[in-house]
Amino acid sequence: MELCGVIGIGQTKHDTARTDVSIAGLVREAALRALEDAGLTWSDIEAVVLGKAPDMFEGMMMPELYLADALGAVGKPLLRVHTAGSVGGSTAVVAAHHVQSGRFKRVLTVAYEKQSESNAMWALAPKIPFQQPIVAGAGGYFAPHIREYIRRSGAPSDIGIKVALKDRLNALKNPFAHLRMEGITLEQVAASPVLWDPIRFLECCPSSDGACAMVLASEDVATRNEPAWVLGTAVRSEPLGMAGRDEINPRAGRDCAEAVYAQAGIKDPRNDIDCVEMYVPFSWYEPMWLENLGFTEIGTGWRLTEDGVTALDGDLPVNMSGGVLSSNPIGASGMLRFAEAALQVRGRAGEHQVDGARIGLGHAYGGGSQFFAMWVVSGEKP
Amino acid sequence: MAEETEALSALHVLEYNYTRSVGPVIGRFLTGLRDGELLGIKSSSGKVIFPPVEYDPETAETLIEFAPVGPAGVVTTWAWVSQPRAKHPLQKPFAFALIKPDGADTAILHAVDAGSEEAMKTGMRVRPRWRKERVGFITDIECFEPEP
Repeated sequence: MELCGVIGIGQTKHDTARTDVSIAGLVREAALRALEDAGLTWSDIEAVVLGKAPDMFEGMMMPELYLADALGAVGKPLLRVHTAGSVGGSTAVVAAHHVQSGRFKRVLTVAYEKQSESNAMWALAPKIPFQQPIVAGAGGYFAPHIREYIRRSGAPSDIGIKVALKDRLNALKNPFAHLRMEGITLEQVAASPVLWDPIRFLECCPSSDGACAMVLASEDVATRNEPAWVLGTAVRSEPLGMAGRDEINPRAGRDCAEAVYAQAGIKDPRNDIDCVEMYVPFSWYEPMWLENLGFTEIGTGWRLTEDGVTALDGDLPVNMSGGVLSSNPIGASGMLRFAEAALQVRGRAGEHQVDGARIGLGHAYGGGSQFFAMWVVSGEKP
Repeated sequence: MAEETEALSALHVLEYNYTRSVGPVIGRFLTGLRDGELLGIKSSSGKVIFPPVEYDPETAETLIEFAPVGPAGVVTTWAWVSQPRAKHPLQKPFAFALIKPDGADTAILHAVDAGSEEAMKTGMRVRPRWRKERVGFITDIECFEPEP
């Protein structure tokens, strides 16, 4: 397998409604920044891999066809990836495979969502005859899973509030973040209304317009650009309604982590990984995924949050960028996690840089905690 | 043979409202329609693309130089609709046609009200019939009609 390095990273300013640009203009903004970071032009790119959440969100069928001009993809291989909310991550994985296969030397990968033009909430909640309804949107679906996590782990009730405050403070250091709440306090988060017990308003992700793009390159090209080297990639999924399925600690997530650690030579994730950017759309998913990803024993993830281990200056910083809680252009959200991990190990994360970050984990999940994508990146060539 | 069973059946209407931000290029094109003018855009190779596009299909460059075209132009191909449906642009027999406005290098799909199929010809000249109340949408052109 060929080596693959991330040599260009770009994202848009994420916002409630980017009415200044079309969908093409949105993806273009991220793609141009990634190209500029890589020091490349459109003609250098050999293939494009695009990801976004289901077409029904914006009601635009096969948007990759319309976006070919904006992404310089005319006459080149252009592949669309579909894996619900994890799609930004699995899109980056597919792009990495394009390079690792030896077939392409420079691949552009882009993911986006323009939630202001879409109806994600209701597109997730159609009441289809003879099927069990999902209830209203993602929060209604995930709240019972969180309640079950609290029941099993005995976690104190304020862990979610602490996660939310941490991520919102981190977002103040990220100029691209959608929600930047100056002066936010624990009391404000705690006082925000409960939307779906136990999830409070300020423990939820926003609806964002935004895009993320990366340029991935083969060893000979990447070596010149201080890349983030891709040490491992993995994607796993499981059915939504399988009997005996554990939605709180899904097997697909555990298997995905095991696979990506094995590729990257990670024996002890807690010690070997310097920072984690994971998909936390509702605050409580931080402790839940810390356990699912093997950073701590089952039932103890909340202790890492409580002890400040996951803070920006903690022993295992989590969601340095402010995370999904601060910016959620759904289709791009997974890629933003992967891109942040790469930014960190390149030492280019600006104010939210983790000192000395060498190894980073990017994590994305989607559907009903059933689609997982992960990569491990390093600033040092393997 | 399996026993015949009753098939479950229910009406399911799935409907959402979507919005679109059209961006600086399509936005200006639509504003032009409201003002009664047709705008194309110059490509990297100097061709005038109509309706305008944001990015060059050949070089991927951002396109910024608008070029007024037409509004009259030439039918490059057409198909006669003898029995219009409820959602068709005209409720009498008409032609769907590709129309290349003067000064443009590409054509747009629109309706031509020519009265009869015999009056339609590839190469014929047509001009837009503008609506009186215009809102900045493609339907601001009611249809095209033969030039007198």
